[in-house]
Amino acid sequence: MDKTLAGRLSLALLVFGTAGLCVLPFVANDYIVGTGLTLLMWLALTQSWCVLSKLTGYISLGHVVFYGLGAYLVVATWNQVPLVLAVLGAGVLAAAFAALVGLPVLRVKGPYFVILTFGLSELVKYSIMAAESANGTASRILFGTPDLVLIYFAMFVLALLATALLRWASGSRFGHGLRSLRENEEAAETLGVPVVRYKLIAFVLSAAIPGMVGGVMALRSTYFVVGQVFDPMISITVIAMALLGGGDTVRGPIFGVLFLFLLQELLWASAPLLYMIILGTILIVFVLLVPDGIVGLFARRARPPGPTR
Amino acid sequence: MRALLSVRGLGKRFGGLTALSDVSFDVPAGRIVGIMGANGAGKTTLFSLIAGNAAPSAGDILFDGASIVGLRPDQVCRLGIARTFQIVKPFSALTVLENLRTAAMFGKAQHRSAALADAACAAVLAEVGLAGVADRPASTLTLSGQKRLEIARAIATGAQLVLLDEVMAGLTPVEVAAMLDTLRRLQAARGLTLVVIEHVMRALMELCSHIVVLHHGEVIAEGTPAQIGENPMVLSVYFGTHA
Repeated sequence: MDKTLAGRLSLALLVFGTAGLCVLPFVANDYIVGTGLTLLMWLALTQSWCVLSKLTGYISLGHVVFYGLGAYLVVATWNQVPLVLAVLGAGVLAAAFAALVGLPVLRVKGPYFVILTFGLSELVKYSIMAAESANGTASRILFGTPDLVLIYFAMFVLALLATALLRWASGSRFGHGLRSLRENEEAAETLGVPVVRYKLIAFVLSAAIPGMVGGVMALRSTYFVVGQVFDPMISITVIAMALLGGGDTVRGPIFGVLFLFLLQELLWASAPLLYMIILGTILIVFVLLVPDGIVGLFARRARPPGPTR
Repeated sequence: MRALLSVRGLGKRFGGLTALSDVSFDVPAGRIVGIMGANGAGKTTLFSLIAGNAAPSAGDILFDGASIVGLRPDQVCRLGIARTFQIVKPFSALTVLENLRTAAMFGKAQHRSAALADAACAAVLAEVGLAGVADRPASTLTLSGQKRLEIARAIATGAQLVLLDEVMAGLTPVEVAAMLDTLRRLQAARGLTLVVIEHVMRALMELCSHIVVLHHGEVIAEGTPAQIGENPMVLSVYFGTHA
């Protein structure tokens, strides 16, 4: 077992966190359960984002597009399809969309990929907005959505699934191929890594989870507005959480999500006016001084830098 | 003798520029063949075509009797051809061992488990003299170390045919001598077939049993090092003609 500080902390977090999150809905009021739900949502989104963007270095600024598509599918099929099917379908739709756009999109690298994914998610947002207003259904209200506890546990499963997915991906032969192509795509391909296929698989895997997360969150808000489920702030928050966490493993997102989310809640409650300013300052300080995130900070303390040549 | 690699009438044009034209030669199994030529003669382009990094405009490339034209680089690698890059392309943030693990897992060797791959990689690292730095990030190696890493990765794929692109360029004479020694031992121990691009002419003459000379994209001479050393065409290209 990993004996570093980060290793012990994350093991403790995993055990107590999982247990705590399991009993939370039975002991806490709706407000706290709702907060727990949001926390799990960020965890699922960030872990799934990392499957593509951390492992391959293709930084997607369009993760929200899958979330939005999933939410839209569940809302559009409301009361017509069994809910479980609709949520699973949301994952399939998001994955299928990723598979469809993946080949051309993943040919583009670096900042161009960042901008392209952002543009793509905005394009889908405005297309659906246009379709909805032409339909006269610019906003919808869902009646009779499931109980909060049920939604909470659905999200709990998705967060576990996303964590398991990243854990598998980062430790597997597949993940090693992704990390190699992140370092140098041409060298990786010449050493036998099927880079095009691997990038596409990572993109599709990373899309399925936010699709289902969006589908479940649509049930929580009950009032559906297209602009809200395709809000670019969701993508940006996910990136901020992943950057704060750092590292290639599931630990990074766990630390990053907990840190930023708790900070947000704390600041929101204690200093609503300064909230965004303080948050921004912390993000800048992190990017400048702790580029490898919380996980990197722990690793640096555990093992002083060795001699380099 | 059976040709492991056979290049037939190979041509490559980049727009109006002809990088290679009608290049043909054979590489028998188990030999070390050198490719010689001035800058811009088309040596690296030739490697890119063989390894699948670029597609030829004309001609055919046979590996073990079957055409490999049109295959992607990863497919070519899985068949048993590996190349190094003149400008080294290490996975800088990964350790030296992890660099090799990629090759052992995804190349012809196809080791599915990290443990099996690492055992194979450790052997290669020992043979190229990188065993002591296996756990260092590749970015911390010296140039000589990075050149060795390129070679080690190529070998770790489990390839039969290894294309070495100027692995001695930029090294000191002492390092060149050590590299020659390493290459000879690797080739003998693993029964490899090597195709070597090199500017260091003496090194090429010492190492290879057969040399192909490229000039402006065409083969102008071919033969044993002794024959090449006396070839009037090669001499005129390299040293100018007597008035």
